[in-house]
Amino acid sequence: MKPFAYVIAQTPESAVELARNQGRFIAGGIDLLGELKEHLAEPKLLVNVKVLPGTQEITPAADRWVIGANVTLAALAAHAGLRQTFPGLAEAAGEVGSPQMRNIATVGGNLAQHSRCWYYRHRDIRCLKKGGATCYAREGENKYHSLFSGATCLSPVVSNLAVALTALGASVVVQRGAKPATLTMAQLYESAWENPRAHHSLKPTDLILRVEIPAVAGRRSTYLQMGEKSGFDWALVSCAAAARVEGGTLHDTRVVLGAVAPIPWQVDEANAWLEGKVLTDEVAAQAANLILRDAEPLAHNAYKVPLARALVRRALAKLVT
Amino acid sequence: MKRLFSKKGSPARDDPAAAPASGVSRRDFLKGLGTTALSAAAMSAGSVAKELEQTSTERVYGPGPVPVILSINGEKQIFQLEPRVTLLEALRTQAGLTGAKEPCDRAACGACTVLLDDVPVYACSLLAIEAQGAEITTIEGIAKDGRLTKLQQAFVQKDGLQCGYCTPGMVMTLTALLRRNPHPTEAEVRKACSGNLCRCGSYPRIFAAALDTGGAPTVSKLEVITLHDHAVA
Amino acid sequence: MPWPSASKHLGKPTPRLDGPAKAAGRAKYTTDIAPAGVLYGAIFRSKWPAARIRSINLEKAKAAPGIKAAIRVHEGEHQVRYYGEELAALAGMSRQAVLDALRLIEVEAMPLPFTVNELDAIQPDAPRVVAERPNLGPAESEKTGDVDAAFAAAAAVVEGTFTTQVEIHHPLEPHADIVALEGDEYTAWCSTQGIFETRNDLAKSLGVPQNKVRVLCEHMGGGFGSKIENWANRVICARLAQAAGAPVKLVLTRFEQALSVGNRPSSFQKLKLAADASGKLTAFEMVMFGTPGHAAGPEDMGGGVTFLPAPYIYPAPNTRVKKSKLAVNAGPATWMRAPGHPVASFGMESILDELAVKLGMDPVEIRLKNDPHPIRCREYLIGAEKFGWKDKYRKPGSSPGPVKVGVGCAGAGWMSGGEGTQAEVQVNPDGTVEVRCGTQDLGTGSRTVVAVVAAEMLGLDPAQITVRVGDTRLPPSGLSGGSATTASVAPAIYDACEKTLAELKKLSGIEDPRGARWLEACGKIGSNPLVVAGKWRDGLSTGGAGGVQFAEVAVDTDTGFVKVRKILCVQDCGTVVNKLTCESQLNGGIIMGIGYALYEQRIMDARSGVVLNPNFETYKLTGAADTPDIELILLDMPERGVIGVGEPATVPTAAAIANAVANALGVRVTSLPITPDKVLAALGKLPKAASQPTEGRMLDEAFARVALAPVIPPASPANVRRRKAYA
Repeated sequence: MKPFAYVIAQTPESAVELARNQGRFIAGGIDLLGELKEHLAEPKLLVNVKVLPGTQEITPAADRWVIGANVTLAALAAHAGLRQTFPGLAEAAGEVGSPQMRNIATVGGNLAQHSRCWYYRHRDIRCLKKGGATCYAREGENKYHSLFSGATCLSPVVSNLAVALTALGASVVVQRGAKPATLTMAQLYESAWENPRAHHSLKPTDLILRVEIPAVAGRRSTYLQMGEKSGFDWALVSCAAAARVEGGTLHDTRVVLGAVAPIPWQVDEANAWLEGKVLTDEVAAQAANLILRDAEPLAHNAYKVPLARALVRRALAKLVT
Repeated sequence: MKRLFSKKGSPARDDPAAAPASGVSRRDFLKGLGTTALSAAAMSAGSVAKELEQTSTERVYGPGPVPVILSINGEKQIFQLEPRVTLLEALRTQAGLTGAKEPCDRAACGACTVLLDDVPVYACSLLAIEAQGAEITTIEGIAKDGRLTKLQQAFVQKDGLQCGYCTPGMVMTLTALLRRNPHPTEAEVRKACSGNLCRCGSYPRIFAAALDTGGAPTVSKLEVITLHDHAVA
Repeated sequence: MPWPSASKHLGKPTPRLDGPAKAAGRAKYTTDIAPAGVLYGAIFRSKWPAARIRSINLEKAKAAPGIKAAIRVHEGEHQVRYYGEELAALAGMSRQAVLDALRLIEVEAMPLPFTVNELDAIQPDAPRVVAERPNLGPAESEKTGDVDAAFAAAAAVVEGTFTTQVEIHHPLEPHADIVALEGDEYTAWCSTQGIFETRNDLAKSLGVPQNKVRVLCEHMGGGFGSKIENWANRVICARLAQAAGAPVKLVLTRFEQALSVGNRPSSFQKLKLAADASGKLTAFEMVMFGTPGHAAGPEDMGGGVTFLPAPYIYPAPNTRVKKSKLAVNAGPATWMRAPGHPVASFGMESILDELAVKLGMDPVEIRLKNDPHPIRCREYLIGAEKFGWKDKYRKPGSSPGPVKVGVGCAGAGWMSGGEGTQAEVQVNPDGTVEVRCGTQDLGTGSRTVVAVVAAEMLGLDPAQITVRVGDTRLPPSGLSGGSATTASVAPAIYDACEKTLAELKKLSGIEDPRGARWLEACGKIGSNPLVVAGKWRDGLSTGGAGGVQFAEVAVDTDTGFVKVRKILCVQDCGTVVNKLTCESQLNGGIIMGIGYALYEQRIMDARSGVVLNPNFETYKLTGAADTPDIELILLDMPERGVIGVGEPATVPTAAAIANAVANALGVRVTSLPITPDKVLAALGKLPKAASQPTEGRMLDEAFARVALAPVIPPASPANVRRRKAYA
């Protein structure tokens, strides 16, 4: 780690102001400390944003829930009301890392975390994401990489919450300069699709304040992931799904995949295909086919196609049971 | 002192049963340090703490060493630390508490686990400056008057350790579990220590130690069959 | 064997003596020790997998705040052969100061072509790791009988290719040393598997007599073979201490653990096996190669890359074997828990199951037919019964539903013998006892073994005995490797205690000083304590440990996920010394074997030459959630004497799991670790475009090159013994 100064921000405005000169926000800090130790980031100032007003609360309301950026993943996973209303989100939070991580890691940090690509994280490799000329993964060791990519960086989004919140149609309120701005989940990640150096669409001085989730009557949600180990492992592929289930038919369904693209991956046609359908194996399989239609497997990640297909089918099945 | 992280009674725990229905209320925190040239040696921890509470501006600390007050095992101590120093580094090299270990330094093994207001966290991935205001409990702080806790005794009796390098972390993780859930099931024990790696492979005996402490004695999965008719291989 | 038949402590569960200190976090490991004025050391490593190092400029680093010493590892030009090789080192006032200064070191280097993956390195036009010789070494060749005739006449012949990964030891305590000079004597705290070898190596490195170096290792956080070798980091620590004129502590990071302190070599095995109609093996053929990293010359042990017994435990009358070492630009292999055996076991047990399927035989039946080891045959029968093998074993692939259940079994043999330890017993006039033995406790429980044996012999409670280990001022013992420690230490303690009793009898005039008259006897020895030496003697310990394991797995054929549900282990332990620590060692061997089967693998990047997963995030260790139900059956055979059991239990686990996976699926994953991608590939579930026809062709070509390689005699086991790796 390079030496840095440290300050605790009192307001979103001052946090953003403080971060302006080579500052980085720190909340839980686990992801950031990893980058600092590997010299992937060398900020001059860490701006603690952990105690900004209103960022540590989960606030239920009839039309939408507001989740503060500093709510810990453990609190999210354990929140009884949230588990009932947005089970997919609670499940996604509960699958992150380990109990020790969830006790510290925050909603904002999870959404804003950086790539876990092993080329990006390696101290002695200057890859495309770090401003180099090459994506080493493309011809290299790409078993954990994307099936879909817009820009030439293949590192996938690994935030569990990004996947679950995309399925729930959530939006994120960000302090951008002097005032808050609201981004859809798609907007939050679209830059990672277009720009190989981006992990998400946030600028260094954009600070996530809270997440807003529309409360839709009768909507169910779920989240599934599979890693190589039974626990304390990253998802090889994750899948979140949400829908209103009325009289056995699916409405407003969203199926989203994680760890297969630099952004939470959903395909409108797949969601549309499910509209008004009674879920059968064939219906689910066709939805999976549509989501994975444009997959471009690399030398070592083709297994993610059947794995994603299985998770889509299982997530949908879980949704209607 | 105010807290940067969760405190007792907050829902920041990995246990559904422990969560209240609504969220965490906003907490204030220390605002900054008024004096610029504090000498740790010249001040008692108490007076620094008082000063911390009186100041109110957003103050930039460091990058050089700054006074950091940590409450470790019930005792407030003041250290001069750069903001980049991790809690683990501070504990091991400044506080002389080498129980928490540093096998990975990347939040990937759990041997550095300490309790922050009773909640297990990785000390390697938390800045010491951010642990101010919380009660830090290390492995050295749980045995009262040198007497091992019931869990520690069970680790010894059940052989929940081999090389012992993961043990302080495991004990802290399971201490936290047993405090909030005194009678865990095996599934709960496994889940609680899923963030602690043991390279010697002592998991079955670690589970046994935790279950035993929780009042669910385990049956040994070991059977010995004595044969007297094999003198040579 | 003379071990007492009605024992009070031997074979009973004795909690380890150091348990309370470890459970309380009080146990001081090398990493926890900080002598007054200690400096922190750190190593500057090569960022190139191959390069000619022209010069290293240390001036800026030397001038950095807090830096007290800076050294080059090599003088003059130097050729780097792997990413992470040690080039320079610093010592300074704090770890952070040294890490900061490391970034100021400037190197002038000419990068050279390199090759890090086996199938690339074996190509004739691949860059040479060592300029003087081809990457593929000569083949060690062994032949018996007439293999071709036997294959032609066989009732069934099966062929297959099996590959195993590079596995890293990753003890949780990193490699760590502290070297301090006081007067003209050095004290070194070292995390080592052999304090006396370390002392000798250090004396040589420091250029001082051996009686001026003391090595201490009170507690140790695991080794698994990686702390046998005197790696460069220890020599560097000593040189830094000399240069700084102050104690220096050098602890490796997890990142460094993945680079240059050893690993289990990989293997590529092409096997062919034949049997007659009864299932009796008639012919075996193996062509294999594997990489020990950059050090693959004829003089390099390479972690036993070519020492794997072939065929493994099931002999055939006609055999033809060719084994070769292949150099790549990567860190060196070394001994790792049962070197060669898990590798050999995976190949042989896999192809044996294929043969059983072809012959329509039960896997246990074919093993009983071919295993010459009477104890292991007995273990197969006991294990099959306890496991419920007859009910559980089904035709491969016949389990219904998407989550398929399968079972498999495999056996193991290990030499396990040990010798050479000396020990001292001191009886004080007040009846207390101190036993001194210069062995080291890696976490295996050897300290407690000393206490148990002494307690048994002297009629005391283990808690009444103080045990001193881990100090070269104590009577010498050997390396802890090859599961040799218990078999080496226990007889020495026995001997010393027996002589102590004789002496005590003489001094006190009490016929049997044990038990009720102990204090009375001790009271008669005068004011000086009684000190009696003993040493290892024949007839109390032995070698040759057999074991078998049964695995039950559930494989999700939609996702490729393998869950190990159960492992049943039947292990021959000779005379059990401590039931509790013995059980822990078996658990540990099995759990490490699960990692080898399913999770662990060092990943090298062909383009940059770096290790891509030098951490626990992507080098995956078996965790709590992955640990199955483990059932252990110890065969206690007191007549056999003491046998070490640290290694045998890790040998057959991966093979048993692989066989269970094949039984579940009806197709075989022939490559470790068995990860979801490989399972889905084996099931033919990958999209067509993604299949890689080139890899099969490259493998065939690679085996053809080994088959054509010049032939040398097999590596001599005597050579191995000299290195003491198997002890």
